[in-house]
Amino acid sequence: MHIAEGFLPPWHAAAWTAAAAPFVVHGARSLTRLVREHPGNTLLLGASGAFTFVLSALKIPSVTGSCSHPTGTGLGTVLFRPPVMAVLSTITLLFQALLLAHGGLTTLGANVFSMAVAGPWAGYGAYRLLRRLGAPLTAAVFTAAFTADLVTYCVTSVQLALAFPDPAGGFPAALAKFGSVFAVTQLPLAVAEGVLTVLVIRLLTQADRPALARLGLFTAPSGKDGRSPEEVAR
Amino acid sequence: MLPIDAAAHSNRWRRRHPLDKAVLALGLTALAVSLPAWPGAPLVALAALTALLGPARVEPRRLWRAYRVPLGFCLTGALPLLVQLGGDGAPPGLAPGGPAEAARLLLRTSAASLGLLLFAFTTPLSDVLPRLTRVGVPPAVTDVALVTYRFTFLLLDTLARVRQAQAARLGHTTRAATWRSLAGQGATVFLRAFARAARMQAGLAGRGYDGTLRVLVSGAPVSRPFLAGSLLLLAALAAATLVLERLLP
Repeated sequence: MHIAEGFLPPWHAAAWTAAAAPFVVHGARSLTRLVREHPGNTLLLGASGAFTFVLSALKIPSVTGSCSHPTGTGLGTVLFRPPVMAVLSTITLLFQALLLAHGGLTTLGANVFSMAVAGPWAGYGAYRLLRRLGAPLTAAVFTAAFTADLVTYCVTSVQLALAFPDPAGGFPAALAKFGSVFAVTQLPLAVAEGVLTVLVIRLLTQADRPALARLGLFTAPSGKDGRSPEEVAR
Repeated sequence: MLPIDAAAHSNRWRRRHPLDKAVLALGLTALAVSLPAWPGAPLVALAALTALLGPARVEPRRLWRAYRVPLGFCLTGALPLLVQLGGDGAPPGLAPGGPAEAARLLLRTSAASLGLLLFAFTTPLSDVLPRLTRVGVPPAVTDVALVTYRFTFLLLDTLARVRQAQAARLGHTTRAATWRSLAGQGATVFLRAFARAARMQAGLAGRGYDGTLRVLVSGAPVSRPFLAGSLLLLAALAAATLVLERLLP
């Protein structure tokens, strides 16, 4: 749900850019530190950014019969953590604006705040909370993706309602209007993205568990090449 | 390749310095956002369309395909402006100034989007990204963005092949199969992305990779006449808008 180029008044666009900037700067510092520690991380992070971009190109069947695209931020934030996701999602949003005409440059700050900051942090918070409470990985991953998607949509609705308050009912009425217009597609999409993310994680667990362990989803196996002690013994 | 990027690589203005095109295109976008929507936005849209279809020679069909994406969001986003939910228990109804505000919003967004498309259709990202360090973006972020750009096309190609293979194996015939196939696409792209990154890392290590990706950047100089012309056009558009605003109803 990208806010299109020119949709927000200039002051709103500037304010949301200022709000998103500290998170992106913090993410850029984390990313620079990661690259400085190990130059090979550039390639890994680049691959992760491309993965996030390509995830948004998957076509999810929608309830209306058409297709929708996932944001990919839920899966990204679980795999790569919110600070790095802030930078990777900003790069992805810039690419989407210039390669696909989704979003824009004046609205980049607002889109970064909703999709690269609020969504990933909320999703990651839900994921960490559930994992700490002992919930299974699939439940935590579903909640992370669902929450990230839903929070992104809610923040975008807030951004639009602040920019275009209702003439009679003000901000709350405008929030209800924008919320209900986009809820038709966004609520089923949040559920669909949650299901898809769980399926992807399950497949990844079967196909390359060591890679997920390196990213911190599981306790790293102690065996050679990431295999469990039982597998090494066999 | 993605249609806009493919068009940008073969565009007539491809060899121009990105700054030339940024001043004109993003200047038009800035004007569209900051000037009064009537009559500013139609004037900006006309200038952007003239540049796109005239000197830049962008194919009208390609332009329309890209343009309808932001237009769809604008139309949906403008709908809530037509109604008001009423205060003090009044029933919802048509907002008195709603259609005019929705029209102004549509005009502004359409004009601003055309400015952005002028830049996107004439400037490949591969020309922009290496120059971002000059405007203060950390080199590490620029390098990651460059790798992301290169990987994106490889992964999109992988995705298309996986989708084709799944379709050939009746992977999209039922709803359950479609979901399984979708998950397979996501997981395969993840695995391929990391496998490619590992291979590239090994290849670069063998070539003395020290953490900096050095790429050739086209040495096209900034054209002062083009810049001056762009600034003149932007000034003329701003002046015409302010004059016409007083004359027109």
